[in-house]
Amino acid sequence: MIFSTLEHILTHISFSTVSILITINLITFLVDEIVKLYDSSEKGMIMTFFCITGLLITRWIYSGHFPLSDLYESLIFLSWSFSLIHIVPYFKKNQNLLSTIIGPSAIFTQGFATSGLLTEIHESTILVPALQSEWLIMHVSMMILGYAALLCGSLLSVSLLVITVRKKRRFFSTSYGLLNFNESFFFGKIEYMNERSNVLENTSFFAPNPKNYYRSQLIQQLDYWSYRVISLGFIFLTIGILSGAVWANEAWGSYWSWDPKETWAFITWIVFAIYLHIRTNIKWEGRNSAIVASIGFLIIWICYFGVNLLGIGLHSYGSFTLTSN
Amino acid sequence: MKTLNSSTISKINTHNIRNALSCRTQFSFPKDCFVRSLCCSKNGGSFVLALSFSSKRKMVFSKLQTSQDKSNVKGKKKSLQAPTTTKIEAPEPGGAPAVSGESGGDSVPPPLPPGSKKVGSWKLKGLPKRVLALLSNLPLALAEMFAVAALMALGTFIDQGEAPDFYFQKYPEDNPIMGFFTWRWILTLGFDHMFSSPLFLGTLSLLGASLMACTYTTQIPIVKVARRWSFLHSAEAIRKQEYSDTLPRASIQDLGVILMGAGYEVFLKGPSLYAFKGLAGRFAPIGVHLALLLVMVGGTLSAAGSFRGSVTVPQGLNFVIGDVLGPSGFLSTPSESFNTEVHVNRFYMDYYNSGEVSQFHSDLSLFDLNGKEIMRKTISVNDPLRYGGITIYQTDWSLSALQIMKDDEGPFNLAMAPLKINGDKKLYGTFLPVGDADSTNLKGISMLARDMQSVVLYDQEGKFAGVRRPNSKLPIDIDGMRIVVLDAIGSTGLDIKTDPGVPIVYAGFGALMLTTCISFLSHTQIWALQDGTSVVVGGKTNRAKGEFPDDMNFLLDQVPEIVDSSASMQLDSSSS
Repeated sequence: MIFSTLEHILTHISFSTVSILITINLITFLVDEIVKLYDSSEKGMIMTFFCITGLLITRWIYSGHFPLSDLYESLIFLSWSFSLIHIVPYFKKNQNLLSTIIGPSAIFTQGFATSGLLTEIHESTILVPALQSEWLIMHVSMMILGYAALLCGSLLSVSLLVITVRKKRRFFSTSYGLLNFNESFFFGKIEYMNERSNVLENTSFFAPNPKNYYRSQLIQQLDYWSYRVISLGFIFLTIGILSGAVWANEAWGSYWSWDPKETWAFITWIVFAIYLHIRTNIKWEGRNSAIVASIGFLIIWICYFGVNLLGIGLHSYGSFTLTSN
Repeated sequence: MKTLNSSTISKINTHNIRNALSCRTQFSFPKDCFVRSLCCSKNGGSFVLALSFSSKRKMVFSKLQTSQDKSNVKGKKKSLQAPTTTKIEAPEPGGAPAVSGESGGDSVPPPLPPGSKKVGSWKLKGLPKRVLALLSNLPLALAEMFAVAALMALGTFIDQGEAPDFYFQKYPEDNPIMGFFTWRWILTLGFDHMFSSPLFLGTLSLLGASLMACTYTTQIPIVKVARRWSFLHSAEAIRKQEYSDTLPRASIQDLGVILMGAGYEVFLKGPSLYAFKGLAGRFAPIGVHLALLLVMVGGTLSAAGSFRGSVTVPQGLNFVIGDVLGPSGFLSTPSESFNTEVHVNRFYMDYYNSGEVSQFHSDLSLFDLNGKEIMRKTISVNDPLRYGGITIYQTDWSLSALQIMKDDEGPFNLAMAPLKINGDKKLYGTFLPVGDADSTNLKGISMLARDMQSVVLYDQEGKFAGVRRPNSKLPIDIDGMRIVVLDAIGSTGLDIKTDPGVPIVYAGFGALMLTTCISFLSHTQIWALQDGTSVVVGGKTNRAKGEFPDDMNFLLDQVPEIVDSSASMQLDSSSS
């Protein structure tokens, strides 16, 4: 009882923090320089991080197993991974760019997980026999960390695409307005930061065409960081898929059975492998690789959500039981 | 850099390419080329990549051609041609296949420059090289990967393994999906069993071939230059690096010590310093490819050489392993241990408090031909039994019989049959006839069970009579009969397999995880030169380009300033 109360409290705190954060982000985005507000949003992210950590730990103690057995828990873990990726650079005192992308991502997943949309699956469930293994922790946590990192990386690529496309059609700003709220939000923030650094540097530095210079600088940064973050996510994804295969061999006697989830994870892996290979060719860096990463962004969501919602195969969390028990 | 490359592409004529290529042999392999290209390609695009890097590589040997350094600085295009006139180092024989492989990749063989060494070998080994070069083409490899991904995606959208009738109905000819996709496509191309269809396996093996060609022509040769490192002897060359800086009043020895402290391998020779870190990150991509090949080999062996079988055995009965297993491919050869007999001592389940199953257990004993017990283990899901290459998994269960007492007679074993109901829950039923068994209007007591915890009993009219737990010994009176449910006998569903591919696949998995992690490391090289009292430092890295300047600045800040009595100016470590 005490656990479920605690869980409720933590859920509500993290959700309200997240809502406040969205507001703050919007304010800082709309209204110019309010450094204090920006600071507080960073602090809010840290608070959210600890709330989600607390939430996960509570759930762990309460249910007696690692809280990654259904979609809701994996969503919470995803937003936890986002906020983790978000606050790591914050403590290193650099990388504002990365956090502008990750912050909202964490906000949206956490908001989605804790909002009323999925109330019926909030209940912590029992662990079916096949999931009772140490591999659960390794496999699922690695997969979701991988998803989180890959999503961040591909979002950076998406914003790179948005910026370069916008550069070409600067006057069709209405079409830009029609873009997905997410992306325009991120983009807006980056643009805003861009402008801010622009203002700062302009005063001290001589530059012939500062706007273009900083834009290309920004594009380069986006390119580089999406590459690094995707590389990191790729490692997690590889480890996750392989540990899953080893686990499947322990539980079902086959390390690969072309289950839809497996297949889509493999597709994700291949798409990001293509991305990494394209990066090896200097000529294709930048926009081409960014397009592949954006495809990867969609594919991760198909892999993570689409397959689950269909509820087919061995990976239908929550509904899964031993051979159609 | 980017623009330079693309602009040069069009301007280089084939003659230059050939020249640059041969110069590449002379240089040995440009390291940058390999780092940047995980995979390799022989045609247009990355060709230029190799060229631009070979020009870079020349800077490494600048000692031998310092006079040309100036021209190199001015433009990459010039430097591309410059190497053709210089003779540096003898070519290593090991490097030859890759380079001639590259030349084979040109769709239009370039006119051979006079004096080219490759003429002979080109004619002799033309065809294999051509194939090799074609296969290790990066765009082709990428296309193959896309194809594999697309086929897999299609395989998840089309229901797999159904009867042809299913596809006739779902993909009718008069209403094709997207205007063309009908069952004909599916059945002709084998999309109803996508993951074993020739098309898919063919694409996959083509990808494997590309992987091998790549590893052979471009990646393996990197090993040959593994330990090759070189000093830069001119300040100009060092300043041309991605990062460069000048430390006034510093000593190169101090720099070396600091770099060593930061984990670099440092080499000092006279006034020159060369340091590197993360060399493993440069070679790890080879490991990734080799590990993938290993996984593919293991997977093939699994497909061709394994035995599989599944069996449902009631508690207390035996089976012989060899009777259950069926070969999966032409390499499947039965082994000695197939004669082993398995006895199911007990099958039972664990339950949560809520009544749901938490775990299934089967207590198995293995007996050899002489009837001697050689092994005994209680298996459960996630905890299989392994013996002599055979693995027995707990995968399924069912109820086989109910043991009851009727009016203190018995015990009788009533066989249970699975009942089909809506939903995915299992349900088993049995029937105890009452009265004349030959009567056409036979009535009796029905008993239903979902699992081994409880049995629901219905009387002759089909009315609910009560629930009894097996083992409870609590009798129930139905229509004047006294029935005791003694036990529910379950049968365990076992999957049995032998898979000779697993050790290889696991080795591949392990190698893949390790090498993927190592691939994240960035190979950093630093050169420095004592130039009077100041030290010129330059460096480059292949992956972590973003953090590199910061890291370098941090390191260089630590280099102590040699305080001169005449002047003590501030150390300027961020002059660039």
